[in-house]
Amino acid sequence: MKKTIYIFNDGQLKRKGNTLYFESEEQKKYLPVEDVGELMVFGEVSLNKKFLEFASQKEIIIHYFSYYGYYMGSFYPREHLNSGHMILKQAEHYLDEEERIRIARQFVSGAARNIRQVLRYYNNRVGGISETLNRVDEVIMSLDDCHDISRLMAAEGNIRDRYYRVFDIITRNPDFPFEERSRRPPRNHLNTLISFGNSLMYTIVLSEIYRTHLDPRIGYLHATNFRRFSLNLDLAEIFKPIIVDRVIFSVLGKKMITVNDFEEEGEGIMMKDRARKTFVQELDAKLKTTIKHKGIGRPVSYRRIIRLELYKLEKHLIGEKFYEPFIAQW
Amino acid sequence: MFVILVYDVNVKRVVKVLKTSRKYLHWVQNSVLEGEISKANFHKLKAELRSIINDEEDSVIIYVFRSLQYSSREIMGIEKGGQDIFL
Amino acid sequence: MPDNEINVGGTLIWYYYVCKREVWLMGRQITADQDDTNVILGRFFAEQSYGREKKEIAFGHMKFDVVRKDRHGLVVAEVKKSSKHIKSAKMQLAFYLWELSQKGIKARGELLFPKEKRRELVELTDELIDNLLEAKRDILRIIYDSIPPEAEKKQICRNCAYAEFCWS
Repeated sequence: MKKTIYIFNDGQLKRKGNTLYFESEEQKKYLPVEDVGELMVFGEVSLNKKFLEFASQKEIIIHYFSYYGYYMGSFYPREHLNSGHMILKQAEHYLDEEERIRIARQFVSGAARNIRQVLRYYNNRVGGISETLNRVDEVIMSLDDCHDISRLMAAEGNIRDRYYRVFDIITRNPDFPFEERSRRPPRNHLNTLISFGNSLMYTIVLSEIYRTHLDPRIGYLHATNFRRFSLNLDLAEIFKPIIVDRVIFSVLGKKMITVNDFEEEGEGIMMKDRARKTFVQELDAKLKTTIKHKGIGRPVSYRRIIRLELYKLEKHLIGEKFYEPFIAQW
Repeated sequence: MFVILVYDVNVKRVVKVLKTSRKYLHWVQNSVLEGEISKANFHKLKAELRSIINDEEDSVIIYVFRSLQYSSREIMGIEKGGQDIFL
Repeated sequence: MPDNEINVGGTLIWYYYVCKREVWLMGRQITADQDDTNVILGRFFAEQSYGREKKEIAFGHMKFDVVRKDRHGLVVAEVKKSSKHIKSAKMQLAFYLWELSQKGIKARGELLFPKEKRRELVELTDELIDNLLEAKRDILRIIYDSIPPEAEKKQICRNCAYAEFCWS
């Protein structure tokens, strides 16, 4: 698996000696182009067209984050995998309302059932979540009766609300109360962590989509119109609870990130670079951890599980096998 | 797998060997590179180097580790380069 | 998909004798995992030998490693790394021989496995032609099917770049 390189420093990215080269005030460094799959840019980095051409040729995707840590956009090199058949099927399933709902429902169901797994785990460990668990179960049961996207979205919102409301019980960290979900800007520390983690998740799924025949612009739960990418948002829903949220609980539990790692910025709260690095490092490690996969018969990393999820969606689209979302075992 | 690559080649081919190796590995210090490498890239790197070096004059040695468990890396003096996913 | 859009070539013949599911996927341009070790190396060595002008003799879209004449006529030969997929290799070569015969060129074929010091002769017999035409029809039937043939776990799956797609 090729690596993700995270750039926090300000500097220049260049093509030099047929490989990638980063130059900042403190360092000059060559990066092995054959081993880089994606770049995540947080610092003030400048680059030229020659560099982009090289990245495109090497199929390296570049994600940009703003000074505040928000996702800004990606350099998504021209599609290198193309299957007319797959694109037609993907669009066909979007245009047919019935088919679209069937897929969207699986995404919501996957997200909800993974939330349930997280809740179960913490209910066993710290208790006090069983009421929420019951509610989540009820909503999961009701998903089959949701026959339009807005009802599905509402059900999902409902689950997420209840889920977030027990974050205080899970984190047991008075410095990081949940209060309420706030975005752009997030207004407290925990919300800042959630937003940051979620944006990373969206880009990671996008990078995986790039390595399949799927078109990231056609999503099912998140409407395709107006947004540049939406399929990555759909799939990220499934993985947010078991990847992003678990990393949040872990960095807070181990006090790897504290309130001193944040600063106020206008209306919102912003992470300092040190905290971002810590978070990214933990997330990167999480994505590399492996779990046993029955079908494949050997351990696969969480990162690979995301790819497999895309393959499953492809098989659904070509009419081979109904898509069932990945549910964590614990 | 993890590899350490060291080379001692004719000055005419030093730049070529360095440039090729840098596409796959991280430069550590003069004539030494290291890094995680995939099976495919390992084959590619060796094939590229084979076409550059002169078997009569040059020497490239690659130490291969299946994992870095039971190994440690100690540095004396300054750290000049190495593998890091953060910049 | 109208008929004339699919041209059953040597590649599909090859895959037909390896895995029929692969024929369907390839026919729909659903290519295998590009990060797979064998896929990367295959691409790399193809580019390399291309650059070095590997001595190939081209007949239209067909390329042969060796072309020579003996007292019985023309012989076209292909060098293979191993005889692992000998059936595929044989049928692919037979297919090329048949294509040549369609252009009025009569030739015999030879598969060479230098590492195994082995040589296999392929002669275009009526029976072989029948098999090929049958395979060609079957390939079209597979590709026109709306869904791919079901995945079957075989020995070759272990090194196949489609494995994760099939078993996910």
